[in-house]
Amino acid sequence: MLATALSASIAGVDGVPVRVEVDVAFGLPGLTIVGLAGSAVLEARERVRAAVRNSEFVVPDRRITVNLAPADLPKEGTGHDLAIAIAILVASGQLDGDRLPGTALIGELALDGGLRPVPGVLALVAAARVAGARSIIVPAGNAPEAAATTDVAVHPADSLRAVVRHLAGVEPLVAVGPPGPTTDDGEPRLDAPDLGSVVGHRVARRVLEIAVAGRHNLALSGPPGVGKTLLARAAAGLLPRLEDDEADEVRRIHSVAGLGERPTGSLHRPFRAPHHTISTQALVGGGPRIRPGEASLAHRGALLLDETLQFRTDALDALRGPLDSGRVTIARVDGVRALPARFMLVAAYNPCPCGWAGVDGHVCGCEDGTRRRYQARLSGPMRDRLDLHVPLAPVATGMRGLREPSAEVARRVGAAWERQRCRQGRANSELDADVLDARHGFEPRLLALLERRGRQLGLSLRRLHRAARVARTIADLEGSSDVTRDHLDEALLHRPKEAVA
Amino acid sequence: MRGVGRTGPLGESASSRTDVDGRSSERHHWIALSLVPGIGPATFWQLIERYGSATEAWRAGPDALIPLTRVAPEAPVAFMQLHGQRPRVMAERVESRTTAAGGRVVTALDTGYPKALLTLDPRPPTLYVVGDDAAFDERAVAIVGTRRASGYGLSVATEIGHDLAEAGVVIVSGLALGIDGAAHRAAVEAGGRSIAVLPSPIDRIYPPRHRALAKRLVSENGALVSEIATGGSVGRPDFARRNRLIAGLAEAVVVVEAPDRSGALLTAAAAVAIGREVHAVPGPITAMASRGCNRLVADQQAAIVTSSAGLLRQIGLAGGARPPAARALSEVEGQLLNRLLERSGSLEELVDRTRQQPSSVASALSLLEARGLVSSFGGATFHPTLAARRLTKVV
Repeated sequence: MLATALSASIAGVDGVPVRVEVDVAFGLPGLTIVGLAGSAVLEARERVRAAVRNSEFVVPDRRITVNLAPADLPKEGTGHDLAIAIAILVASGQLDGDRLPGTALIGELALDGGLRPVPGVLALVAAARVAGARSIIVPAGNAPEAAATTDVAVHPADSLRAVVRHLAGVEPLVAVGPPGPTTDDGEPRLDAPDLGSVVGHRVARRVLEIAVAGRHNLALSGPPGVGKTLLARAAAGLLPRLEDDEADEVRRIHSVAGLGERPTGSLHRPFRAPHHTISTQALVGGGPRIRPGEASLAHRGALLLDETLQFRTDALDALRGPLDSGRVTIARVDGVRALPARFMLVAAYNPCPCGWAGVDGHVCGCEDGTRRRYQARLSGPMRDRLDLHVPLAPVATGMRGLREPSAEVARRVGAAWERQRCRQGRANSELDADVLDARHGFEPRLLALLERRGRQLGLSLRRLHRAARVARTIADLEGSSDVTRDHLDEALLHRPKEAVA
Repeated sequence: MRGVGRTGPLGESASSRTDVDGRSSERHHWIALSLVPGIGPATFWQLIERYGSATEAWRAGPDALIPLTRVAPEAPVAFMQLHGQRPRVMAERVESRTTAAGGRVVTALDTGYPKALLTLDPRPPTLYVVGDDAAFDERAVAIVGTRRASGYGLSVATEIGHDLAEAGVVIVSGLALGIDGAAHRAAVEAGGRSIAVLPSPIDRIYPPRHRALAKRLVSENGALVSEIATGGSVGRPDFARRNRLIAGLAEAVVVVEAPDRSGALLTAAAAVAIGREVHAVPGPITAMASRGCNRLVADQQAAIVTSSAGLLRQIGLAGGARPPAARALSEVEGQLLNRLLERSGSLEELVDRTRQQPSSVASALSLLEARGLVSSFGGATFHPTLAARRLTKVV
């Protein structure tokens, strides 16, 4: 007999619907799983056998073939266990399959028949929905995460028996509703220091504001203890809330990465700050199952590289792709996979190993060669992708400071984001070069000035375009629809310059 | 203080006495005196100093030379030979020859005398000019170098000539083969002006190969200028005079490529002697053609040029439209510059010192940087540049 159940699998950061087909036939007894099943999936044989037996059902002594369709898509993970078990029961006549169509089954089976949570359930649920499922059965442990999905009924279950009883109509599982409207409006982030606690650094605050307002890549450099990390982390507190569609995207990615602890309904933008010893794969993603890396976890948010120059050089270089395109592209034999990774980069580093190069009144104690080698770790191409740079110096005693709290700055930043959204639907940092036109507030006179500045300052076209985008953000912060020469000049002043000799 | 329009011994303005009235005027005497072989600028001005006017000096005759210092040995005899002629006749003869050659005689008494030369001491009393007067009113930079230029030298000369010309600067050079020619050409190709200082009279273009180039310079609103009287007997080209005049007409001299003992180095030396900036383009240490320039830099006689843009910044030029000598700064920018002239500082410090908003200080500072008036040299502290210091010393 033949039976089919609906399930889903993870490919990259997305879910893909999977049809579990089970055929019970005469022949040498055995359970075979086909369909490019990975090792964890193949082990389902043992899990399913034990779980079925311990749930007081029987795995028939027949030739059982399980096919996971589409058969040319590699299947990973343990989430198909439940679907396989149910399909076997239906195919062997132990369960009536009437209620099976339109229901997706997701979950790992314990040997005792219990249902265990799996990572990426959001993506799996989304995939099932796309495949036409109207109800999805998930492990109880995944219920909070899965519940965020709307317009499909999510039924948590804790055992195979419970699922069977539900499908038999004997004891339906309770559906969980979607959570109420997001509850953390205006809740302060716990991971971000408040700008109000930063003394001085008026220029750095201003540039930080500009950077976050336009999602421009920012570099903070300076001697140890000057406040680079403090300011960099304060940026987290300035990021506006996620839009609903962005929130879904972010939740899905974090779910696939197994970070299900992201509270459902959280609209905080991701702020990732990996340690500099991180591997390239963990930073940009990859591995045999193409798991998302920090770059993807920072999607729609910010990625802080504290001690940038201590990161592995190939890890830093691997970031060039996402910085340009907003995607991590991983090429494999069976095709090219793209993981979303559109983030704002914040780099914080010392100008040299001793930390004092280029600081007025201080002498760098490093050897020339050492300093140059250190600075070369931030390669030219990487430096090229930075939009803003603030060299920080120790705050002089007695410096007056505004001590404006983050909430005030965040308000201005939020207004600027809104203007960008209304005008062009994206952040200024995501604009192409051919967008330097009147529609975006660039009058011909300003473009002529831009060209002249390029010649006066010896700047490349790429650098000029970046400055133009920053100028557009400065104009947005001011609420001006036109970009003026003051905006452009300020943007140019904060451009990253060549390393200190 | 010698200058155009100085009053004569009778208190009247010298220039007012240039009208021909049948008798030789001061201007005629002036020209005649400068025509005497052996009476160069140094001797000429000594005479004026002593006798108050060219007329009086002429009247005093060869004896006038006796109490003077460093007089060329041929001068007294030559003066004696010419003393019999009437100055008016002498002057009119050279003027008609000059006009026939397409030029005009410009004396230090005339209003058309190049203002740049006013700071040259002693300056040529009489010049022979073809072309546009106005070319002498603009900012000028000299580009000089060897006749036997390499491809590197020619390309650098072309690039610098082009960029300077685009910035509205007049290119001054000696019309020589090699670097000079490349610089002149680049200037006119860029739509700018160029002045060629000749080591020969204006009716005898030297080198002959550059006759067409000389014509082109003139037709593109440039000028040819010489200290040597038109129609004089054919002598050897006077490179020393020419080099000094090149340096005098420019605010800065750029030596692009020069081996040891090149004439261009004499131009650099002349420039240093009269207080003009010298810039030198370095070359490989294995290149003979660059030894002179490298030595200038090593001996700290010249500022090193590492890029055309860098040179423009050093000279204090805003690229683009032709700028006047000192383009007006806004009040904010001026104040900021003054603060930096007092003491260099980072943007953060300036914000603190001026108590302004970071955004307005940043945009003003950025403008100063673009104008080449301040530079951070890649670091966080901004310093005023040479151009800024010069700007604030403008009388």
